[in-house]
Amino acid sequence: MSSLADMLKKQGAMVECDDDPEAVFEFLCSKGWSDGLPVIPPTPERVERMLSYCDRDFDRPVVRIPPRFGAATPIRVAANAVMAGCKPEYFPLVLLALEALAEEPYNLYGTQATTHPCTPMLIFNGPVAAEVGINSGHNAMGNYFRANAVIGRAVRLALVNIGAAIPGIGDMATAGTPAKFTFCVAENEAASPWEPLHVELGFPRASSTVTVVAAESPHNVNDHESLTPEGILTMIAGTMAITGSNNAYYAGQPVMAFGPEHAATAASGGMSKAGVKQWLFDHATIPLSKFSKEGIERRFRRKLADQFANAPLDAPVHMWAKPEDLIVIVTGGAGKHSQYVPTFGNTRAVTRVLKRSDGELVKSIQELRRG
Amino acid sequence: MAQLTKRGLIAAVVCSDNFMKLGTAQAKVFGVPDLPLLKIQHPLGGLGMDKVRERAAVALPQLIKVVREKQS
Repeated sequence: MSSLADMLKKQGAMVECDDDPEAVFEFLCSKGWSDGLPVIPPTPERVERMLSYCDRDFDRPVVRIPPRFGAATPIRVAANAVMAGCKPEYFPLVLLALEALAEEPYNLYGTQATTHPCTPMLIFNGPVAAEVGINSGHNAMGNYFRANAVIGRAVRLALVNIGAAIPGIGDMATAGTPAKFTFCVAENEAASPWEPLHVELGFPRASSTVTVVAAESPHNVNDHESLTPEGILTMIAGTMAITGSNNAYYAGQPVMAFGPEHAATAASGGMSKAGVKQWLFDHATIPLSKFSKEGIERRFRRKLADQFANAPLDAPVHMWAKPEDLIVIVTGGAGKHSQYVPTFGNTRAVTRVLKRSDGELVKSIQELRRG
Repeated sequence: MAQLTKRGLIAAVVCSDNFMKLGTAQAKVFGVPDLPLLKIQHPLGGLGMDKVRERAAVALPQLIKVVREKQS
């Protein structure tokens, strides 16, 4: 028996069940310790192996996860990472994402318990994303790629199993979103005409970061016709301009994930990323009259009175608060499609950079391997 | 409300029936498991004033009961 097993046994943190895979899955589901999909049994040996890329104290909480405010120790997070199907070298990225989620501006408590269908969208930048195989090409937001699937899933499992985001009790989402199983992408930095997100935010290009966004499911922008920046941005602005988005009323930061071909068209006249944000802010608007009579009276005239108390019905409603609030990335492969990702309202995106315990930036995930 | 309760004040939370489990769980998390939850019919958001008054009429007697019990 491993030393971790001894420790867990003393703490009463071990449970035993039949080691048949179906029996293990049934047992975990009966305890509510799953997302409904089969999991890898988190045996002490597997958890110990997962911790081979952890440079923290195994038993000291890294963060606390609401609404239960459960202590996310590396051991507990590693158990969830095992269940999700992570390789040990993914583990530092799972911890990094949880640390970002726990920062106050993200509003993890609100995003966990809300009726709104939001979930953490994890956007990875820098060399480590490619090193561990997070897909940024074809189907970047879809299935098939293990790192995308299981890093996002491990974070979600931790939110449920440690934070108690249990539907109907701690997660009150009206209908939720399929993105609650996993939503993890890398930026396709090589295919971007602009500086990548982490460089835009002031991090060195050689650093590796995660940006967490309280995201809805992505919505596609199909445009096979536009040949100019104005053309492609017109189509995108039209897709963004929707009455039912939290972002029209609150200070969230939606994501515009350009496909590489759309990005190339948008940048073809030399337009910068900041220019794109300003253009979309100016053009992704809806006249006040498109909202319901009750919505105009109850929300715009009263709650947003400083802007709309006496505004005419043709006054433009912007889809987010300030031009720079829009997050612009490039991801995906060939094709004339981009993705718009609205968000929860009372939240801000948070970016964390991957560091070693001595404070140095991590250049390769192998630097975090123990021993 | 948890902080007010811990300071010895009488406090209660209005909670719609669909959110009672969340309210009960959170009261425990914040260390005030006996925090009174004043149960009203869901929803509260998106109602006209007449329906809001109906909810208030349901909550008020519960609040008075809480205050009387805590004072006695």
